[in-house]
Amino acid sequence: MEQVECIIVGGGLAGLSAAYGLASAGVEVMVLERGDYSGAKNVTGGRLYVKPIRGFYPELWEELPYERPIARELVTMMGDGAHTTIEIASDRFAGAKPQSYTVLRAKLDQWLAEKVTEKGAMVVPNMKVDELLRKDGRVIGIRAGGDEIGAQVVIVAEGVLRLLSSEAGLAAEPQAKHHALGYKEVIELPSGVIEDRWHLNPGEGAAQFFMGACTKGMMGGGFLYTNKESISLGMVVGMEDMRRRRDGTESWQLLDEFKELPQIKPLVAGGVVAEYSAHSVPEGGISQVPKLAGDGYLVAGDTAGLSLNALVTVRGMDFAIASGYFAAEAVKRAKKAGDFTAAGLASYEASLRNSFVLKDLETARAIPGFMENPRLFTHYPVAVSRLLESIYTIDERPQAGLFKKAWRGLRRDFMNVATVKDAWSMRKI
Amino acid sequence: MDIVVCVKTNPDLQMVRIKNREAVTEAVPYKIGDLEKNALQAAVDLRAAAGGKVTALCLAESNRKAAEDIKVALAMGADEAVVIDDPALAAPDQAAIAAVLAAAVKKIGACDLLLFGEGSSDNYTGQVGARVAELLGLPQIGYARKVEAADGAVRCERSMDDMIETLEAPLPAAVTVVSEINEPTIPGLMQIMKAKSKPLQVWALADLGLGAPAPVREIVSNLAEEQDRKNILFEGTVAEQADAFVNALIKEGVLGR
Ligand SMILES: Cc1cc2nc3c(=O)[nH]c(=O)nc-3n(C[C@H](O)[C@H](O)[C@H](O)COP(=O)(O)OP(=O)(O)OC[C@H]3O[C@@H](n4cnc5c(N)ncnc54)[C@H](O)[C@@H]3O)c2cc1C
Repeated sequence: MEQVECIIVGGGLAGLSAAYGLASAGVEVMVLERGDYSGAKNVTGGRLYVKPIRGFYPELWEELPYERPIARELVTMMGDGAHTTIEIASDRFAGAKPQSYTVLRAKLDQWLAEKVTEKGAMVVPNMKVDELLRKDGRVIGIRAGGDEIGAQVVIVAEGVLRLLSSEAGLAAEPQAKHHALGYKEVIELPSGVIEDRWHLNPGEGAAQFFMGACTKGMMGGGFLYTNKESISLGMVVGMEDMRRRRDGTESWQLLDEFKELPQIKPLVAGGVVAEYSAHSVPEGGISQVPKLAGDGYLVAGDTAGLSLNALVTVRGMDFAIASGYFAAEAVKRAKKAGDFTAAGLASYEASLRNSFVLKDLETARAIPGFMENPRLFTHYPVAVSRLLESIYTIDERPQAGLFKKAWRGLRRDFMNVATVKDAWSMRKI
Repeated sequence: MDIVVCVKTNPDLQMVRIKNREAVTEAVPYKIGDLEKNALQAAVDLRAAAGGKVTALCLAESNRKAAEDIKVALAMGADEAVVIDDPALAAPDQAAIAAVLAAAVKKIGACDLLLFGEGSSDNYTGQVGARVAELLGLPQIGYARKVEAADGAVRCERSMDDMIETLEAPLPAAVTVVSEINEPTIPGLMQIMKAKSKPLQVWALADLGLGAPAPVREIVSNLAEEQDRKNILFEGTVAEQADAFVNALIKEGVLGR
């Protein structure tokens, strides 16, 4: 069997980040990517939080092919014919060192693949890995088509579906209840129109989340990111919620209906849909993180369940890049020690535990459970909008005082056993 | 028998979109064209029968990653690759392309057979094969759907409208091929890995003793066709609509000529 030092399965951000670190250190590394090229199949919304990862490969992020630094964050709670949008803006969101950028994955991943190739790694697109080869419990290589290639260590970064890793017994098979379905369209709009519609300074960007009526009360929400000359508009819905629905709604219809809503329609008016895609999103949190390393292998990125949806912040890409970085560090260490067993690779898990990756996931341990509460997606968006609507309503009747209106709304919608229970459960998130 | 195959890389056409009637090629990866893959496969098949060496020759044009992309040709079975990459050749016309390729073929030296696809998947001018053959003074056969070589000659078949023509030319010769000629193999991982250690050279114009070409042709406009719709709505029963529709087509001269 032909041998290389390290095989990486999956040329997404996790795989490429690992490859970059390894190739920079002169480790012989081969990335196998199923798609026509890296990023070809990626559906990410998306926004990359760069602050957490700036310290890894600092030279790279100077050249990051980003779309717009995000200066405005918007959250829209959609009720019954009324909605409330909260805007959060800060000079420190964009500014000299922005904390996050919108990105288009086809561009980002191809760029990173190029950087990886420049460092001397081999990135092979159109190459689906069919099997992880195992011998006496140790991962010894891969099979792709008719060819078997051996490796001292295999980094499995195959994304969310875990087809290979679950078949090889490295991770549990993904379950619907721990996943959501994501749909996304890239809609082209001239940059000036984008800046007008989202009140942006030239070059700056906005991110907008929607919750409530847009998912028909199911867990999830809508998202909108402004790119240079397009917007990424999409929706994420819990797979279990979707499956339980009996009214014949197909999940993809939600996005079509979302675009027709009176709040959304003017935002996308005149836009041309350039791309449509769908993908599953891990939502299980830290409880779904498998064993991160074993004899001859490491798992990284979505395969390792490193993804965090905390309602208004969605993270996965920064975790993918960070886990790739730490995977490369661990493999370098293992190479030095000549030990690619679970013990030799153990520094990987330790680094992740000491970093923001597993710390943030640990902090957010209660979030997946919290999000199972349907009132988040039904009652609250409606109640907030109803309360504010009443305050802003003047009709032919004599008006109650401001305080009285607010009090009435609060008492009706926010002061009962269920909401008190919800408030209590919030202390964990 | 030593064979040189001219291989062009094109923006992946499936990824190209049209915006304001122009092709958007930003962030679109390049790929070796399908017809060039047929030519490569033909070369590999001929080598299997007659021995010799297959060299893939690629003019990078605006593809800055051509030297990377051409490795697919090596994985498909070419023994060596030569890429000509020079900023002065970012958007050459067919005359310049042919001049550069001809000079490169001369520099490569041993070449009994020169193969091309019948045209490139993007611009499809179908000129380059014939021009290079002319510049090198080689006999040429266009649009071959079968190529065999024996006894110092190449024998090709090509489909004419109502017959199959068989042509023979003494080697060295130039041949362009059509897609029916074969089914290019998709290289496996082992072939891709082996390709890594095959020789690959990158030459600039100066390496060929050439200067920047003076374009003799200028692209004035290259826009997707725009069609005005007539926006006629037919009303009435289905039968009435159909009648009115057919009448309109006759009036337009589309039907019943
Ligand atoms: C709708 C949606 C919106 C999102 N929004 C955001 C966001 O705004 N911000 C954020 O940070 N994250 C976001 N995420 C999450 C983010 O996309 C992922 O966490 C991240 O892409 C994970 O990177 P990865 O490298 O682990 O996996 P991927 O990027 O999925 O890469 C896996 C790669 O492996 C390849 N592969 C799979 N199987 C094989 C095989 N057998 N052989 C060879 N190759 C294989 C795939 O083709 C793919 O290229 C979003 C996700 C979705 C679905």
